[in-house]
Amino acid sequence: MKMTDIEKRVGDFCLRIPELQLESGCIHGLIGGNGCGKTTLAKLMMGILTPDSGRIDREGLNEREITMTTQRPYLMHTSVYENLVYPLKLRGKKPREADVRPWLTRCGLWEKKDQYAGSLSGGERQKLSMIRAMIFKPKLIIVDETLSNLDPDSVELFEQWIREIQAQAAVTWVMISHQLSHICRMCDQIHFLSQGELAASGPARELLKNCGDERLKAFLERESLDLNVRGRKVD
Amino acid sequence: MNAIEQWINETFSNVGVLSSIQVTFQMAVCSTAISALLGIPLGLLLEKHQFPGKRIVVRVNRTLMGVPPVVIGLLVYMLLMRRGPLGAFRWLFTIKGMVLAQTLIITPIICGMVYSYAVRTAPAIRNFAVTMGASPMQTNRLMLREMKNEIYFAILSGFGRSISEVGAVMLVGGNIKGNTRTMTTAISLLKSQGIFTEGVALGLILLLMAFLLQCLADFFRKEEISVEND
Amino acid sequence: MKKTRKILSLILGLLIIAAAAAGCGKKEELPAGPAEPAAVEMPEAPPAEPAAPVESEKPAEPEQTPAEEKGVLLMATTTSTDDTGLLDYLKPIFLADTGWDLQWDAVGTGEALKMGENGDVAVVLVHAKASEEEFIAGGYGVERFPVMYNDFIVAGPAQPIAHTDNIEAVFSRIIKEQLPFVSRGDDSGTDKKEKQIWKKLALDPAQDPEYVESGQGMGATLTMADEMKAYCLTDRGTYLKMKKDATVPLELEIVCEGDANLLNQYGVIAVNPDKYPDINNVGANDFIDWICSEKVQQLIGEFGVEEYGQALFVPNAGTDS
Repeated sequence: MKMTDIEKRVGDFCLRIPELQLESGCIHGLIGGNGCGKTTLAKLMMGILTPDSGRIDREGLNEREITMTTQRPYLMHTSVYENLVYPLKLRGKKPREADVRPWLTRCGLWEKKDQYAGSLSGGERQKLSMIRAMIFKPKLIIVDETLSNLDPDSVELFEQWIREIQAQAAVTWVMISHQLSHICRMCDQIHFLSQGELAASGPARELLKNCGDERLKAFLERESLDLNVRGRKVD
Repeated sequence: MNAIEQWINETFSNVGVLSSIQVTFQMAVCSTAISALLGIPLGLLLEKHQFPGKRIVVRVNRTLMGVPPVVIGLLVYMLLMRRGPLGAFRWLFTIKGMVLAQTLIITPIICGMVYSYAVRTAPAIRNFAVTMGASPMQTNRLMLREMKNEIYFAILSGFGRSISEVGAVMLVGGNIKGNTRTMTTAISLLKSQGIFTEGVALGLILLLMAFLLQCLADFFRKEEISVEND
Repeated sequence: MKKTRKILSLILGLLIIAAAAAGCGKKEELPAGPAEPAAVEMPEAPPAEPAAPVESEKPAEPEQTPAEEKGVLLMATTTSTDDTGLLDYLKPIFLADTGWDLQWDAVGTGEALKMGENGDVAVVLVHAKASEEEFIAGGYGVERFPVMYNDFIVAGPAQPIAHTDNIEAVFSRIIKEQLPFVSRGDDSGTDKKEKQIWKKLALDPAQDPEYVESGQGMGATLTMADEMKAYCLTDRGTYLKMKKDATVPLELEIVCEGDANLLNQYGVIAVNPDKYPDINNVGANDFIDWICSEKVQQLIGEFGVEEYGQALFVPNAGTDS
């Protein structure tokens, strides 16, 4: 996906992206402080918002092959199971329980499959929305802070899962997160947003090792404590 | 059934209680159905589309939700009377006329309730539909499905309003015994005759119906009740 | 934005204050209101309500000042006395003469008597002699005094029934030709009268499929009859008033009048204070004395002449009607 000369106003806020290339098959990280435009950018990619000006070239990617999960995912007023198979049903597929079961089992939701989805906890909701995004095999998945309420074990499980899917099906991922450690562990490419502008963009290693941008440097320094605790080596 | 009929005939004086119950239902079902068919799409469309003057439309809708039924009754009366613009239909003092008046009363209620619920939830549903890759038709279906409990609730409210309304049906229907007399106008008549006990009894039947309606409404909402602590 | 909001709320507040002030102003006007000088002797009844306000104004000329305000007198009456405007006409005079503020609930005769039975009112003014006598026999009323009568008429389209004074001819023709007829069917005095006439003529209106019951007051029933081009039995007063005042002029004509069966006697009864000691019996008796007095009887006889060209009620207090 390629975005050029994007401009989008939301109230007083203005997002400007002169150029952004999302290489397919990679895991992209989108970082930046609160209110820097990450979610707005994600919504533009998803097609929920349309830019005021500029062009988004999805490079042959059908809109139905893009999906997005959010921090507080929308769950339909029905059971966990029905929520999960909804995207399959939309595509005219008859979901077979045998195919669906592994998804639920792996993240520990199988016992709750008949529960009303609204009764799930915050973390469980995020899990459900993650597997719902993955189950119909889209080409681009945008994860907007969807792992924020998960315990460390579950985060690890999903990080593993995401890599598997990327490897198997050449899925492009866009991860939005505050947790720099998580981004560092996962991402091939990193895009740094600061006050509505794309301040830095490039391969994760280079960018984190010796970045030229002052704002990114400051951002990284603030987050570095977290980085050291997790002990991620940037090499 | 015959036993009930006999009991009712013995208990109530000669105001045509049985037929009034029947008329009430016939009228309420018709007017609620028509109002739902009009009000639900209108409410959803109003939420979906932006157009100049939308705020005024919404405000007018809110005002109409609270308009006194007698006012509507009077307007419909003037519309339908022999020398009125629609006098040729001969709808005055018929159930058709009552349904027309009630439709004018209930449609704004259903439309307004659907609209105010849609304003809160529809954007999230629409965004979700985009992320799932739903087509416009599928999005509409999802929208209806996700809001179905609220829509049922709006319909039930309309129905409740319909069976309990007295001003408009009295004016337009004329309270003709066995013909356009509803439970509420029968109560009003019983009161005017000073027969309070039967009025209260009929009122209790009406209350019972309202209670059953509420049970039905709760039944539609029951799955959500467990989640209210969310 | 904030400023406009402030200004708006200020304007709203001012409006409310103005409305409140206007309301108060009206109330204060009331005691000083009656323009007509009271000329009649005040009944020497002590004020019944202890809370009755005493206005110690300079009583310069005793015959000219209105009577002291004594409080409220509640009455239940039939719709016809209210619909015709008779009570609105009498109320200020009654206040000036006796100091009682007459307030009434205009309902059907059945309900009016019921209100008396329940002790909700102190006096009833109705027109259904049999029921009134029952009311007294039941111990709810003290004594019945005839006040006035009006007469009923049959109103309806001028075709096919021509104007007549024979009620039997009209009613039997309605049955025979199955003409539309709107009955009140609300057990009111008028309704009772209508049923009586059918019974007396040995006719059964149920045989007429076009015979409907409106279950509503006289005015509404007349409008319905007009709409449906139907016949109906009505008191003359309501008919004349509707004929004159209705926005959509009534097309109904008087089809039958003057038959002896069509007279309608009003009686006034004080609710029995033995049954309801709290009731305003003093005011009730004042009202009965007052309405049966020569002066008021004359006023009743004049009521409506100016406006409708004929009197709506014929006073007959002191007779045994």
